[in-house]
Amino acid sequence: MNREDELFLTRDFGLDHLHRLETYVSRGGYRAAAKALKTMTPDAVLEEVKAANLRGRGGAGFPAGIKWGFVPRGTDALRYLCVNADEGEPGTFKDRFLMSHNPHLLLEGAILASYAVGIRTAYVYIRGEYESIARRLETAVSEARASGWLGDHIAGTGFGLEVFVHRGAGAYICGEETALLESLEGKRGHPRLKPPFPASIGLFRCPTVINNVETLCHIPGIIRHGAEAFLKRGLPRDGGTRIFSVSGAVARPGCYELPTGSSLRELIYERAGGVRDGRKLKAVIPGGLSAPMLTENEIDVRMDGDSLVEAGSMLGSGAVIVIDDETPMTLVLEKITKFYAHESCGQCTPCRVGTAWMARIAARLRAGRRRNGDVDTLHRLASGIKGRTLCPMGDAAALPVLALVAKFRDELERSS
Amino acid sequence: MVSLVINGQRISAAPGTTILEAAREAGIEIPHLCYHPAFPPVGTCRLCAVEIEGLPKLEPACSTNVKEGMVVRTESPRVVEARRNVLELLLAEHAMDCPICDKAGECRLQDTYQAYSLAPGVYAEDKTRRGKKIALGGGLLLDRERCVLCTRCVRFLESVTKTSELGVFERGDRSEIGCVEGRLVDNNYSGCLAEICPVGAITDSDFRFKTRAWFLEARETICPLCGRGCAVFLESHPGFPRVPGTAKAYRVRSRRDERVNGHWICNVGRYGYGYLEKSRCRELAGPLAKTLNLKAATDVVAPLAAELRALKYKGRQTRVAVVLSDWLTNEELFLAGAVFRRDLEIGRCHLVGPRDGSPDGMLLTAERSPNRAGAKALGFNTEETTLEALARDTDLLIVFGPFLQDRFRPADIASAWAGVKTKVLFTPRDEGLGAAFDLVVPTVWPAEKDGSFTNCQGLIRSFSPALAPPPSAVPEWRLLTALGRAVGLNPSFYIPFRSAGDVRRAMP
Amino acid sequence: MSHNIPDRVKRRVEDILSRYPRREAALLPVLSALQEERGFLSHSDEEWAADTLGIPPAKVREVVTFYSLFRRKPAGRHHLQVCTNVSCALNGADGLLSHLRKKLGIAEGETSADGRFSLSSVECLGHCDEAPCLMVNDEHYGRLDRRALDELLEKLE
Ligand SMILES: Cc1cc2nc3c(=O)[nH]c(=O)nc-3n(C[C@H](O)[C@H](O)[C@H](O)COP(=O)(O)O)c2cc1C
Ligand code: SF4
Ligand code: FES
Repeated sequence: MNREDELFLTRDFGLDHLHRLETYVSRGGYRAAAKALKTMTPDAVLEEVKAANLRGRGGAGFPAGIKWGFVPRGTDALRYLCVNADEGEPGTFKDRFLMSHNPHLLLEGAILASYAVGIRTAYVYIRGEYESIARRLETAVSEARASGWLGDHIAGTGFGLEVFVHRGAGAYICGEETALLESLEGKRGHPRLKPPFPASIGLFRCPTVINNVETLCHIPGIIRHGAEAFLKRGLPRDGGTRIFSVSGAVARPGCYELPTGSSLRELIYERAGGVRDGRKLKAVIPGGLSAPMLTENEIDVRMDGDSLVEAGSMLGSGAVIVIDDETPMTLVLEKITKFYAHESCGQCTPCRVGTAWMARIAARLRAGRRRNGDVDTLHRLASGIKGRTLCPMGDAAALPVLALVAKFRDELERSS
Repeated sequence: MVSLVINGQRISAAPGTTILEAAREAGIEIPHLCYHPAFPPVGTCRLCAVEIEGLPKLEPACSTNVKEGMVVRTESPRVVEARRNVLELLLAEHAMDCPICDKAGECRLQDTYQAYSLAPGVYAEDKTRRGKKIALGGGLLLDRERCVLCTRCVRFLESVTKTSELGVFERGDRSEIGCVEGRLVDNNYSGCLAEICPVGAITDSDFRFKTRAWFLEARETICPLCGRGCAVFLESHPGFPRVPGTAKAYRVRSRRDERVNGHWICNVGRYGYGYLEKSRCRELAGPLAKTLNLKAATDVVAPLAAELRALKYKGRQTRVAVVLSDWLTNEELFLAGAVFRRDLEIGRCHLVGPRDGSPDGMLLTAERSPNRAGAKALGFNTEETTLEALARDTDLLIVFGPFLQDRFRPADIASAWAGVKTKVLFTPRDEGLGAAFDLVVPTVWPAEKDGSFTNCQGLIRSFSPALAPPPSAVPEWRLLTALGRAVGLNPSFYIPFRSAGDVRRAMP
Repeated sequence: MSHNIPDRVKRRVEDILSRYPRREAALLPVLSALQEERGFLSHSDEEWAADTLGIPPAKVREVVTFYSLFRRKPAGRHHLQVCTNVSCALNGADGLLSHLRKKLGIAEGETSADGRFSLSSVECLGHCDEAPCLMVNDEHYGRLDRRALDELLEKLE
């Protein structure tokens, strides 16, 4: 694969001022928007994205085109786009990477999505801790408005779009799409019951599309070069590239953009420089903290949604956390459980009580105060959360614990 | 209609019904805490999870709609296991102070635990100390160690009273119900909070530590304290057999009536039941009772009838004035009309009820009587009258009802009516008024009789006794029936009336 | 209640309000703007937000206490927020945190007596490539060891 490939999101990330409109335009920026708005119908844009089978990069991997297709069309009713830039999944920092280097790419993706679905207002929900990125986005929005890429009559057409940057205020759960909507409406980030799905009743009770930053960043490439070109990279059913956030005990942590379906082992050893300080690999969390961990002998796996599910884990947000052989698993367990207990919204019983209970046991294990039956209780609690909560956060909290207990039970039971 | 199978039973339900409600209709109760029929489901307690054939996960019955051909199991091993699991979590940090909790005996958590678990939890971590006596206002106390975070209270204040004094603060397992400093719960429906709290987290000072729920008998009645006539349960202790005086009313709870009050009642109706006992008129009294040697309330009928008949024969019925009240039932007012207006042709029949108050914009009406609409429909004059008008050229004054002293000062009554030869009072309450009368006859409150009221919406609703009256008190309809018969102008008309229901059937 | 809201905040709030079809939706950004003024949200700030946006005060409190970036108590001039999630923990975050505890003589959730520093441990900040990392007020610092941290503290007046 050619690093100069136009379908690589990070192709120009070496340039100094890519985040400025001028530089972006000089590298072909906003050409996809111009092409779509001037020469394609909204339906044609939608069909192209459907044909590309672009799977969501936020965690659930749902095809973007199909999601857009769920929004009722043919009326003047208000619709909204929410860009999910909450990026709270521990280990994930690719959206920050994308937005800080190339905010206009995201805006162009938002224009295309909005054009396809008939949306005139978009909100970028960005996590509160990304203050400087939010400012960078605001600047990009002003630039785009000033040069006619946002506002009314974009590129001299009848289509208009306003983009507003909305900062969160510190809550992982607001990355869950319905919690995000509640938060945008000025409320606590309590996930909503589904159905109804946001495509029919979403923000301010209007049909709403919610997409991850990286997902939208792929749209301009798909529109400029076509679905076929997109599908040439990656796998036939899961095309394009993905940006993997690699961190933990690796020599070169960072974002690496690879075709979907690349090997996890290669990603760790060839891109990220292998395990730090010459240590050995003990386990890998392959898709953000919520993804069940894989052990050393399980990392010959392709990094795409289906392959990871087959391997008993998930691709999630594409965040790879490498754990070395000197790290006690009680530490990892403690950090995982503490996180979910801290971030549970507290609405539903299994997640609210179950995560807090698990965190207390894990803290004891870490402090060397293990009691008989602790590991079994952990297993029972996680099983009681899995599949039984209102939103997918329950699974996110339970799956990593279940995997850890299954794969490192001996070590946990020896801890004291 | 949608047809489905729940626990092997074929059921049909309207589309859009939830599994929980469809099951309930069919007599299958699915345990729940956060669900309340008055609010859209939130699906958060997870106690109601059921198994649906073909679906990998258990689904919350409260927020899953029925579908054609659905096969649901509410008591399968998987469901019961999940239910026990949720119970264990809810009880992990629960106060478990049932022996001193007002809710014991009517607690959803306790009931469900007894039905499904009774297993000792294994929770062995440090329990978080949470506030146990937080004043919420309106005489309500919050115990956060008992709270299960069903948010019914918060949702009630949001959607019913629209006052939103309570909120869920903090997050995760630090979540807690609370109100903002200086903004306590303050609305005319606050009493509903203790009622909808499915556990003993919100308790009501009106009831706190007074008795145990399992001693109480709940009977249906209608609240008489305003023109709405909300459906209520009146809960009373039947009394300990060997301790006299222990029988008494302890609580008024709302009773669902979609046409009238939905699920709620106001604080006036909830806490206002003190009138049942206060200054209760228990015995026949007054100088005339002695002179005539009357023993029981019904003994009054014969001499009174004789007096009325005598006046009528002499054509002096104009010298009689009658005061009625809009706390009387339709049946009683109908009988009063028959006896006094039709048979005796007495022109002066006035209504005197309690003073109006201000309406609250929801259920509470301005009039503080349950049957003003009924009285109007029966042609009674509801305009205000004066003591002087009632006393002018009057030899016999017959007063039904306890509300004279709400309108006039007892001293004024006594002086204005000093010249009236005979004054008879029928009342359940004697508030220093008896002295102005020659005869005081104990009668009963609406909760102690049967009859019907017509509420402010024009709905006629009947009720039966919910409470035992004092032994010597007699319901007004019974006295009026006897009086009509004894007056003898139309005796056969009164013969069939052995119950208020008989009267109702005879009414136009 | 008398609110002491500077005009520049009121102007900002007007601007924020123009972005949403419903006033309530502006609550998070409005609270952030208020917090920027004094470093925390006072009871009177909450009441002002409630009034301005037409939200019951209890609903404002619900939001203020849900989001971890809102504070109801003043923090020090420099609020050190140390990430202790897995990626940072794998790179010595716990050691950094205890170093800070000792050096500043305060525990998490506390503020130094001179009002200079507050300390918190927080969840993943999205800078795992620079682990271990921390945030001082809104600024991110990464790849820290004790020496780098000590140098940073020196610079923070
Ligand atoms: C607990 C939880 C946290 C999530 N956090 C994020 C997030 O930070 N960013 C994100 O894009 N999606 C997140 N998601 C996934 C979103 O719900 C949603 O699926 C996604 O934004 C859809 O966009 P996509 O289809 O483009 O991936 C989260 C989901 C859950 C259950
Ligand atoms: S699973 Fe957790 S985060 Fe999701 S609704 Fe339930 S308590 Fe909230
Ligand atoms: S009653 Fe269904 S989740 Fe509580």
